[in-house]
Amino acid sequence: MAFKSLKDIAFETPANWPTPSYDFSRNPLSPSKIELGRELFYDPVLSKNNSISCASCHSQFTAFTHVDHSLSHGIDDRIGTRNSPALMNLAWHSSYMWDGSVNHLDMQALAPISHPDEMGEKIEAVVGKLQKSKPYRLLFFKAFGDSTATGERTLKALSQFMLTLVSSNSKYDSVMRKQAQFTLQEKNGYTLFQKNCGSCHKEPLFTNLQFENNGLDIDTTLNDFGRMNVTKDRADSLKFKVPTLRNIEFSYPYMHDGRFKKLSQVLKHYTSGIHHSTTLAKPLLNQIVLSSNDKVDLTAFLLTLTDKDFLFNPKYSFPKK
Amino acid sequence: MRFVVFLIVYLYACCLCSQTYKKYDVVLLPMYGQFELQPDLYYKSGNDSLMIETLKFYISGIKLIDKGKVVWIEPYSFHLVDMSELKTLCLHLTIPSSVFYDQLKFNLGIDSVTNVAGAMGGDLDPTKGMYWTWQSGYINFKLEGKSNVCKTRNNEFQLHLGGYKDPFYNLKTLTLNVSYAEKTNIILDIEQVLKTIDLSKQNHIMSPGPESILLSEKVVKSVYTQKVEK
Repeated sequence: MAFKSLKDIAFETPANWPTPSYDFSRNPLSPSKIELGRELFYDPVLSKNNSISCASCHSQFTAFTHVDHSLSHGIDDRIGTRNSPALMNLAWHSSYMWDGSVNHLDMQALAPISHPDEMGEKIEAVVGKLQKSKPYRLLFFKAFGDSTATGERTLKALSQFMLTLVSSNSKYDSVMRKQAQFTLQEKNGYTLFQKNCGSCHKEPLFTNLQFENNGLDIDTTLNDFGRMNVTKDRADSLKFKVPTLRNIEFSYPYMHDGRFKKLSQVLKHYTSGIHHSTTLAKPLLNQIVLSSNDKVDLTAFLLTLTDKDFLFNPKYSFPKK
Repeated sequence: MRFVVFLIVYLYACCLCSQTYKKYDVVLLPMYGQFELQPDLYYKSGNDSLMIETLKFYISGIKLIDKGKVVWIEPYSFHLVDMSELKTLCLHLTIPSSVFYDQLKFNLGIDSVTNVAGAMGGDLDPTKGMYWTWQSGYINFKLEGKSNVCKTRNNEFQLHLGGYKDPFYNLKTLTLNVSYAEKTNIILDIEQVLKTIDLSKQNHIMSPGPESILLSEKVVKSVYTQKVEK
């Protein structure tokens, strides 16, 4: 059931971008629901011992991911098994998590809330805590015209905030809109990118939203087979969701298990570290050859994907009381 | 002339509004063999005994059929049935008086379209404990309890059946012959479900897969209508 009001606002799709997959008719955006979602996103009340919020592993200045930790950690300093993904442009996705185990943005938050190594809490208990809180009852009233907290409303409000996290204002975007120009180095890097990386990291989202095996050797301490864990299909072995490259300058460490700390290690992997197995992504079957100059240029291009309007936008930051 | 048109429209509207309705109750009766199933009560099973702590399942997409034709479809038809909440065991249907039927059709579980539609409220709210969190999807049927044959922690068994995607899509549709009456009692015999599996080996189903599909088929076979005195 959608909660419609006169204050509903339209979601703005950047020019020349594809149509979002999220069905806004089932959850029409409104400023008060976005605000409720933002409060929830930054509030440790979602975790069992009120110590961890979404922002603990998804902080704005690092493109809403968790830097310096290859594997993200949750309550009681427990360590998970994957690197937290950067959150942006989520309205265009129709599956979430590295293995696509979550089928809808609304349902995504249930996973970290309930995981014992992350927030370790039950959604029933979260809703109970929100219902007892006067400030939240007011926020629910403003958002839904009724102060009752429910699972549906909590999750939809969180979605609303996350849907507003759109990064479309990098230098790359300005160049595409003909408002800026690449330097010679960036231009060369862009050509190399289109030739070697663009089929999986498809513009303008810089992901084809598919699952691919990018030639990482299995980490035997984790034995994470990715997409296969969900589909139970061997053809999906070692496939992970292709991450966006937007704001890559700030979203280190890289890969599903955060094994690479630097972009140079990532480029080294793609040029000389590919582990061949039956499910390897087709574009990686032939070796990618990049000279050291090429690598410098490609990196220069990747840095044009940094979007400071996104990283420092006060609309996305901790809600000040 | 205008008055005549108004009168016709008015009378037509009156006819529409005067549609009368009747009640039809579908009552679910969880049983253990010949006994009424009660939570936390031990039942004899072979040489052992077992008890059921949780029995929750979804009934959805209710339709009434007359001589092979669908004559009524319940709008927004999602019901969470919970053994320990008595009021959920009776589904109160309100149908037009003109509808007659000889069959009742419904799904056991939640269809795939609803499964990918995002957060929903009422009986479908994820706080109802019938939604998988680490891997999206509704749990269609949840059966939990204890049996001495289970060599698990506290002798517990947990059978969570679901799956919304091929090849493990697990929505089951049942069509039951019913007699036209104010009430139909539907029996779900848990003894029949459990005697088809070896609980000592199969006591933990937590995700979609072949096991889940097989057991759901057994659940379907344990559902039948009870004759009601008119």
